[in-house]
Amino acid sequence: MPVTVKTFSNVGEAAAALSSDRGARYFGGGTLVMRALNEGDLSISSIVRAQDQALLRIDASGPRVTIGAGVTFARILAERDFAFLHAPARSIGGPAVRNMGTVGGNLFAPNPYGDFAVALLALDAVVSVQGGFGARDIPIEEFLQSRERQAGALVLSVSCQKPLAAEAFHYRKVARIKPKGGSVITLAAHLPVSSGRVLGARIALGSMAQTQVRAKAAERALEGRPLDASSITAAASAAVEGTSPADNALASGWYRREIVGVHLRRLLSGQK
Amino acid sequence: MLELRKDIFADERDDNLKEIGKGTQRQDMLGHVTGTSTYFDDHKLQGMLHLKVVRSTHSHARLRRIDTTEAERSAGVRRIIRAADIPRNLNTLLSLINFGKDDEPSLAVDKVRYKGEPIVAVVADSPREAYEAMEKVRVDYEPLPAVFDVEEALKSGAPVVNETYPKNTFTYYDVYDHQKLRFGDVERGLAGADHVLEQRYQMSPIEHAPTETNGSIAAPDTNGRYVVYTSTQALFFSVDTCAKILDVPSNTFHFIGGTVGGGFGGKVDTITEPLCILGAMLTGRPVRYVLGREEEMQYGPPRGAERIYIKDGVMRDGRIVARKVRAYFDSGAYTRLSSYAAVKCAAHLPGPYTIPNVYGDVYCVFTNRTPATAMRGFGVTAMDFAIECQMDKLAHLVGMDPMEFRILNAYRDGDMKAHRREAKNTALIECVQVAAEKAKWPLREEFRRASSRQGGGGERAAVSPTPRDARPQPAMASQQRTSYDRAPVATREPQPPPPPPSSPPRAPAAPSHGATRFSSVFGTRRR
Repeated sequence: MPVTVKTFSNVGEAAAALSSDRGARYFGGGTLVMRALNEGDLSISSIVRAQDQALLRIDASGPRVTIGAGVTFARILAERDFAFLHAPARSIGGPAVRNMGTVGGNLFAPNPYGDFAVALLALDAVVSVQGGFGARDIPIEEFLQSRERQAGALVLSVSCQKPLAAEAFHYRKVARIKPKGGSVITLAAHLPVSSGRVLGARIALGSMAQTQVRAKAAERALEGRPLDASSITAAASAAVEGTSPADNALASGWYRREIVGVHLRRLLSGQK
Repeated sequence: MLELRKDIFADERDDNLKEIGKGTQRQDMLGHVTGTSTYFDDHKLQGMLHLKVVRSTHSHARLRRIDTTEAERSAGVRRIIRAADIPRNLNTLLSLINFGKDDEPSLAVDKVRYKGEPIVAVVADSPREAYEAMEKVRVDYEPLPAVFDVEEALKSGAPVVNETYPKNTFTYYDVYDHQKLRFGDVERGLAGADHVLEQRYQMSPIEHAPTETNGSIAAPDTNGRYVVYTSTQALFFSVDTCAKILDVPSNTFHFIGGTVGGGFGGKVDTITEPLCILGAMLTGRPVRYVLGREEEMQYGPPRGAERIYIKDGVMRDGRIVARKVRAYFDSGAYTRLSSYAAVKCAAHLPGPYTIPNVYGDVYCVFTNRTPATAMRGFGVTAMDFAIECQMDKLAHLVGMDPMEFRILNAYRDGDMKAHRREAKNTALIECVQVAAEKAKWPLREEFRRASSRQGGGGERAAVSPTPRDARPQPAMASQQRTSYDRAPVATREPQPPPPPPSSPPRAPAAPSHGATRFSSVFGTRRR
């Protein structure tokens, strides 16, 4: 059976087409879906597209930013208000991938990809999803954990709070090939400091489990404490807790477990 | 910035270079930078079909049964190609120059020897329909024990990878399971050395990673001929390989190539053309067969892995007096070009240094891994990496500057190389001196003054007495001949009795036409 392409003018119809067909796959920038088709992925029988301006919307004016699912990384990099997201956006692919790849698609990118979602996870983002029963908001952590079951849903946008201070947000992707290699591990940390103490610590890791995960033990090690050598050491040694990294061509699971604490320490203490 | 050091060896050359040192535009540059170069895959022919290959999911397994009935009925399928459809389903690349035995089928028969080995080809109207039909091919495997390590493969009782070579080693000159280099008495050299250093080096396979994956398009032409657009790096080599496998005269084909989207040695194996042309022959339609990126990475031939042991004897003053090398080339499951890489490697030992006692054993080993092939100086690159690492370690061991250590041991004009040829135009010393100068690396006066044209020859031109190994008797008949080999079958001359170990070896005979000649591939050969 040839692959059918269905193009809709609004997200509602696209979402309906997506949820009614098991073999349908939403086509954002095509950096994942076209690759799968070219490599003969027979699980895709049709691709669904939506030419809805709502997917391209950006709202960066207030303290809470909203990014349409169809916004590309190149566009994120072109927005001054998204400066806090430039490091993760720049760490994805080469210029060609950044011109096509979308924020929504990145939520579905399997290891060793999905770096932007790591940043969003550390920022406690909310994913707005159009399902069969209308739109609903899902916390990104819950969304990622149930990602396999979200295939029939259409992501409309993601939103998150801007970090109050630029230095409260940290991001690092460890790759073997720079600048565009897949992730060995990816780390993002949002550590708002109030009266000298970390309040609401969020640390997210990529390539350390089936999906992007939070390093909750490391977060606990920092919560309510000043960000100093002893709390960073405690967080670094707890970073591996609750992770289950797999082996792939870039690194073994063992290696990822060994280095995650090292890189978290460097990230939090501002070392290169 | 290119800088020509014309002051060095100025007396050896008329200063009339026409190309070197001058800017010359590559003839294909304009097309490449303007995006107008035509590659094989830029041909979209009317009625073109697409060929995909069902590949082994096992590294080593017997094929009990291949069931294609369901696949044949799959939508859009024009033809399923099985091993029996291939006129001569056994080949080795270098058979065209009569080197090695046919050991590799285009489609597996009875057994698969590496993960990804082609088993069945599907020709369909679209790539998608070909993929759908591939899903419906049922292959019943009986897994066999596999071997992935070169030294494990040489142990007795190791699984036999490739029945053409039951000892898991390529056979040189009908007799030897490895390439040998013997020069002087290495054991005595090691025994007399102040320090002995033995190290192990392991290189992994390397994928060529071309932008354009391997592929070809074959189309029926008039008068029973076929036009073939191909990514091959070795056009005429590919023509003859296809002619042999498809058992037709080579003028059946009109190969069009020349623009290669990245080769580096990974496009000499003619891995797509034979099946592609056969698809066109069997369907009467143009057929396209292109490897996907994952196929290219996983099953396209890589540079082979190599394991190298080097044991050196060095004197306190820095002179290397003995070098003993054992190297294992991982050829993967079939020969391709690693057999030749081992020849090149043995010819390269002991590196560009004058060492009075050299001993080399270089094995081309079969394992259940993807067959390895050519890549940029293959056979030499990895060995050089090992040798130069070793040189640094030796310099450290004797407390010498690594640059000066190389100048001290570098061969000089007139020295005898381990292959019993006189070293000429050596120039390594000057290269090291210029490199040191550029890197602002201080060299002591005596090393700055050293010259490759002084201090060579004399005692350094002598061939040290070399003990002879016992010669194995030829186990089988002389090398397999092919229809391409028009020479009469050579008869093996009786072996001369081995001379006593202390007698100096004979000087190499001067080559003359029509007499016995030496070739690095064939050894001594009658013309």
